[in-house]
This record gives sequence, structure tokens and C-alpha cells, in this order.
Amino acid sequence: MTGGTGPGLPLRAMLEHPSWREVAVLAGVRAVDRPLTGAVVVPDLRAHPPELHGALLAIVLSEDRTDWRLDAVLARAAVAGAGAVLVAGTAAVRRSTQALADRVGLTLLGAVDPLAAQASLTSMLSEPRMAQADTVLRVVTACRLAGPSVEDVLDELGRVLHRPAALLDASASLIAGTPVLSDGEAAQVVARLTARSVALPGDVRTHLSGGAVLVAHPLAATGRTSWLAVRLSAAVQTEIDAVTAAVAVAAEAVRERLALIRLQLERDAHRRTSLLAELVRSPDAVPVSTRRRALDMGWHLDGWHTGIRIGPRREVDLADLRADVEAALAAEHLAPVVVEQGDGWSVWTTAEREPTAVEVARHAAAVRRAQRRLADTVETYVGVGRVHAGPSGIAHSLAEAGDAARLAQNRAETGRFLHVDRLGLAQLLLAWTRTDTFQPAAQALLAPLDHEAGDLVRTLASYLDNESSVAETAAVLGVHRNTVAARVARIQQVLGVDLSDADERLALHLACRTATPATSPVVGTRRPAR
Amino acid sequence: MICAAEPPVVRADDVDQLVVGVGLLGSGGGGDAAAFGRVLRNRLGDGELSLHAPGDLPGAVVVPSGIVGATSVFTEKLPGGHEFVGACAAVARWTGREPTAVIGLEAGGINGITALVAALDLALPFVDADLMGRALPRLDQLTWAARGLAVTPCALCEPNGQIVLIADADPAALERTARSFLPVAGGWAAIALPPTDVGPGTREAVTGSAARALALGRAHATLPSTPPPDLVEDVLGARVLATGRVLEVARHGGNGGFGRGSVTVVDGEAGTVVRLETENEFLLAIADGVPVAACPDLLCLLDRRTAAPLGVDRLRTGDEVLVVVLPGPSWWRHPDVLPRVAPEAFGLCCPPVLFGDA
Repeated sequence: MTGGTGPGLPLRAMLEHPSWREVAVLAGVRAVDRPLTGAVVVPDLRAHPPELHGALLAIVLSEDRTDWRLDAVLARAAVAGAGAVLVAGTAAVRRSTQALADRVGLTLLGAVDPLAAQASLTSMLSEPRMAQADTVLRVVTACRLAGPSVEDVLDELGRVLHRPAALLDASASLIAGTPVLSDGEAAQVVARLTARSVALPGDVRTHLSGGAVLVAHPLAATGRTSWLAVRLSAAVQTEIDAVTAAVAVAAEAVRERLALIRLQLERDAHRRTSLLAELVRSPDAVPVSTRRRALDMGWHLDGWHTGIRIGPRREVDLADLRADVEAALAAEHLAPVVVEQGDGWSVWTTAEREPTAVEVARHAAAVRRAQRRLADTVETYVGVGRVHAGPSGIAHSLAEAGDAARLAQNRAETGRFLHVDRLGLAQLLLAWTRTDTFQPAAQALLAPLDHEAGDLVRTLASYLDNESSVAETAAVLGVHRNTVAARVARIQQVLGVDLSDADERLALHLACRTATPATSPVVGTRRPAR
Repeated sequence: MICAAEPPVVRADDVDQLVVGVGLLGSGGGGDAAAFGRVLRNRLGDGELSLHAPGDLPGAVVVPSGIVGATSVFTEKLPGGHEFVGACAAVARWTGREPTAVIGLEAGGINGITALVAALDLALPFVDADLMGRALPRLDQLTWAARGLAVTPCALCEPNGQIVLIADADPAALERTARSFLPVAGGWAAIALPPTDVGPGTREAVTGSAARALALGRAHATLPSTPPPDLVEDVLGARVLATGRVLEVARHGGNGGFGRGSVTVVDGEAGTVVRLETENEFLLAIADGVPVAACPDLLCLLDRRTAAPLGVDRLRTGDEVLVVVLPGPSWWRHPDVLPRVAPEAFGLCCPPVLFGDA
């Protein structure tokens, strides 16, 4: 025996093997833990088997199973040391036969094709390498013929191996395919997968309860540590080896499918992004060719547009998750155009006529619900623009939405959701200060204060927030008013500014907002309602 | 021929024991003799019937008599009392030989009693000989048929009075023809085979079956309630194969013949799985997959409590029983006739395992 299978294959494991899926236990179920060391074929019930030493006695000719000679063969097989007896046909046997099987401690099996079952056992025992090669070859063929989706490959793999196959993510959750883990097994598998993928990427075999084995192969190419996994219940070593090899082969096919899907995604995303860029670049005079391409894409340039900007709170694959964004919005009965742009998605919906105030509010609420729906996949911040008409409306509304989204990013209290209709002009102004050009300038403006003693930046922010009132600032900061007065004087001195000058005051106020976004209230005491 | 000083006799008091005895010879078949036992008791009244040895009546012409057909119908369609007389008269008229004594057709079950009733009906002496020595299902399994003696002309008389005479048929044809008449006859009929000289007639017959049935019945009567198996062995001269519960009674139609089936008993102590292959009788016993007893030995299932023999058709799953085997009639052990009644004769592919061999 070259497969390292020890003294024979346990009958129980053989019964779980795909090649034995049509073999039924007719009697003597208590003896299924016995190992099978081989197989001896005899023609019929008249046979007197030789010494069997734990081998399977296969009786290939179909005979009346009510015949008493079935009992006699069982008795003779037991005396000859059979591991089990296999007869043709799976119809139930007499209770006398069942009682006798239990008495002599022998399992009676039935198979429509006992020769095939016998051959499979022999092959697994004597030629484990052959069995593996056969499995791999069949998987190669199946993968080549499988359809274009990952599910197609998983289906084919499952069909060839007669075992459930699935794509699992790093937390062992099912992404595609047939469930391979029961509740409570995931934690064990995750621990194994994590430990193994860090140490040495490669196949991972996890021995689960009840003798089941999960064979997993990493799909590192997807960027995320997802796994191609196959579950074997009570497997024999030969099959585990064969499936491990086969899964590695199938993993390549899955990777190929994923890469092609990815390529298509990227291509589509690129087309959308560049088309939107053209629309935004010349919102008031959209070239005919651009209109034409927009039409091909199914975008309605005319009508009333509402821009929505959705940004993920962590770095994600925009093209990959686009479908999720679209699905979340569609689930709220919105018909959005979703375009990957920058670090998020630019989305708009189009209405044929100008929406009423109620419809706008309802629309915003729907987007809000979609955001919450999307939170299962990715946490986002969302800004919604006002309704604008015509091709230029897309650009305008999206610009507003972008500003609102930028604001929403840091506003956990609104659920990181802002609708421009609800925003004051000041907030939008403020949003403009968060541009890449203004922020360094603002920080540079206030930089000298950082090196001074006293909480000068906060004092300045508070002083300006409280209408240049020293008394109010002292109360807010909890210091003496003279302290505040002294600090203000020092600030003017250090920065070389005059706080009585309206322009300088405005610039410093904006700079303070930018420099201390997290600690200070953005719009004073007025909080926009959701 | 040396004659026994006093032939055994049957009196009304003996009928119950005789019924048990013929039940044991029935080996699960032959029908329940209790009903006909009452007929016999009635006929006997205060009198008695001698069980003559063949040598007692030299020069006699014996007529084998009994019934054929569905024994279960017999208890519903009672005899009118003329059937045996009618059948014997018909065969006597056809052959021109008037019988002077009656012998049995079959020793087990109902026919263990009918020959005695026939003798009383015909007012002829009874010679304790019969053509089976136990119960067997077919007319081609008669000792005469096995040794080539003529079994026709033969007359059948059914309770409504119809008489059919079959002549110039070989045993297999007789079996077929008689069997085809029975449905028309209403299930059963009395039968009389050709009157034959007592010498050759009883030489190719089993002798002493009625006396054996009587002896078995008397011995059986000494058994206590729920007898221990070894006592049953001693008293009946039997071997107990198992004591336990009926696990399974499987019945299925035969191929145009009698219903086939199997009964499985699991020994309560040893756990031995004893399977009995059945037709009308228990034919083959297989203990833990090994054949241990077979026809023509007498396989019987006895009620665990009363030790009364149980018919194949009366068994139910869950019955508490004793599985016993008694030696069959030694006549059938001759190699030339054994194949007629061995398991192979019933389509069971197994060499006969006979009492004392196993």
C-alpha cells in the first residue's frame, strides 16, 4: 500500500466515498467501522469464499435476496474473516438476514453494480496514485468545459468530486458554491487558514468533527485571501490526497475566471469614468459624440438629475464593490448610474420631470436607507446634491454631492450622510476650505502658534467662534479673561495679524476650522436635522 | 411374519393425544387435526379401533384413504360422512377389487385422523401404514409413487357428492389433475387409491405412523407448562434448535405452487438466528447461516407454553416458540427415494441434513 492508508480502508469511509455513493448498507450497520483490506469476487450465493483476511466479499450476480443462501453466505463469509459482504441490488433484505448480520458482526452491503464498487475499492487500496491521477484528470477536463463564472467551476468541481465545493473568504464565510461548513466549524477553520496563510501559503487541511476534512487552497491572486474549499465527510487518505491535488488545479481555473471578470469590471469602470469626466469637463456643451456614448451606456442626459457621492470609509476595491452599491440603491427602488470616480462612487438618478420637495425628501431618505443597507459590505459616507436639469445638471449636482460628502465624512452624528438641501451656504463654504490647496495653507498660517506656550490655536478658534468676546471665550475655555486677552494679544503678535481686520479674521477663522476639525463644532450650535 | 400379541388401540380418550401426535408428524403442515379429531371421537363412541400391523391381516386388500385439498377449508365445509365410502366404492367398482382394509394416505395433520374415520365409515379394519409417514404436500410424494407402484385408478369424492375417477395417470399427472378438480369441488375431497394386496402395498409404505403419533401424543401429554428444552428433547426424542421469539414471518406466493415463506426465530439465550424455510410444511432449518435440519425430518415449532405444535399458517411475529426437530420416517432415508422429499424437491438448493447427521 503506497497511499499511507494503514491496514485497509475503514468501511465507514468507503461508504462516504463518491464512488460508493450507490452502495447501501442492507444489514449489520454496527460493523461499519471494520477496515476493508481488499476485495474478493465470487459469482453467486453458492460460493464458498477462501480465507478473506478482512477483504470485502463481492457477490456479483443478482439473486433473490429472500433466499436463505444469502444467510448462509453471510455465515461463511464471517467464518472466512470477511470485512463485509456486498451483493447485487439495494432492495431490503429479510429481518433474519439483518439479525444474522448483527450476530456475526458483518455488514451486508448492496450495490446496483457490485463490480464497479469492488473495482473502486481495489483501485483505492492498491493504486492510490492512479485514483488521484484519475480525479485530477477529470477535474482538469471539467474545469476546461465549465462555464465562464466562478459558480460554474464550483458546480463542475462538486459534480466531479461528488463533494460540496465552495469559495470562502478569509473569515470562512461562503462567497459562492455549496455550503461546506456547519455552524461552529468556521472558527476552527479560520484559525487554521489564518495561521497557515501567514506561515506558508498552500493547501490547508482541517480535520473537522465526525472525521470530516476540509481541503482549502488559497486564491491569493484575488488580492483578498479567499479560499477554494472542498468538504470530505469521513474521507479516506487516498481521496484527501486526490482532492487536494484536484483543488489546486481547480483553483487555477477559479483564478482565471476571477481575473477575466476583473478585467471586464475594470474595462467597464474605465469607460464609465472617462465618459463622466467628459460630461463634467464640458457640462454646458456636451459634444455629440459624448452624448452618443452616454446613450449607448444607457445614461439619460436630459431630465432632472440628483447627484449622490458615496465614499468608502476604508480603502476598498471600487470596481469590485460597484455592483453592491448598485444593488443597495436598486433595493430602495432607485435607478442609479454608478461610476467609479476618485476614491468613491459618483452616482446620480434621473427623473423625467422636476421632483417636488416631498419627492426630493423621499429620494434622500431612500439614499439614506441604501447607505445603511450597504453598511453590511462597506461603511460609507454619502452626500446628496440638489436636483439639476439637463446634461450640465449631472455635473452640478455631483459637485454639490461631492461637497456634501466631504462634510459628511467626519460627521458621525448625522450617520455620515448629508443632503445639500439641508446645508447652509456656510457649510458649503467650509467644505471648500477642505481642499488640498487650502488645507496646507491654513496649517502653515497657524503653524507659528504650535511652538508657543498656551493653547493658542484653541483659544483663537474659540475667540473667533464667540464673536471676538473675551469674556465668553474665557467662560468656554475655563480660564481668566485676562489670560484670554493676553493670549489674543500674543497671537496677533506671533502671527503678525490684526484681528480687527475682517479679511484676516475670516482667513484665520477658516484656518482654525480646518486645523481643528475633530475637536471643534463645525457649525456652532446649529446641527442639521437628518 | 410374527404378529404382535395385542395391536394398539385408539379410544375416544386417546383422540386429543393422537391429534397432538399427528400435529408433530405434520411438521407444520397437513392441517389442524382438532376438528377431525372431534369427528373421530364421535365415530368411536365407546368403541375402539385397532391399529393393525400388516402381518395381522394376511391376504387383505388395502385401500389408501384420506383427503386432499385445502385443509383450512375443511373446518368450514364439513364432511357429510359419505365421502370416504363414495371414493372407495368408486375405485372398487373401477378396479373390480373390493378393499378389505384401510391404510392411510398421509400420517401428518388431518390425514393422520381421516384414515381412521374412513375405516370406521367403511367398517373395515385399519392397518397402521401410510404412504407418507408424515405430512407432504403433493400426491407425487407418495411412497408408492417413489417406488413405482400404481397410484391410479384413483377416486375423489367431494362433500357435495361429485365423484371423479382418474385412471392411467402417472403420479405427476395425478397431482395436476386432482389439484385442478379441487377448486371446483369446493376446496377438498376424499381420495381413495387403488385397492392393493397388503403385502406389496405395505412394503412400499411407512408403517406404524399412527402408533407413533399416539405414542408422541401420550409422551407430549406428560410435559409440564412451559417445559424446559432438555425435557422436551428427552420426552419427544427431539432436538431443540432454539427457544425464543418469532422475529419474522415472511410469506410470498410460490411459482404456481404452494405459498413459500420463511420464519425466523431468535434464540432467547444464545442469540442463535434460526431461519426456517417453509412451504406447506417447515422444510429446512438454518441456524446462523448453516443448514441444521431438513425434510424429511420433522421440523416443528411448538408453542413455548403449551408445547403444542404450531402450523406454518398460524405463526405470527412475536410468538414465543420452541424450534424442534424429530426424526422423520426412516423409509424416506433410502437414497433412491430421499430426493423426492429432500429440500431440493421443494426448490431449496440444499442437501438434506438428517437427524443424527448434523
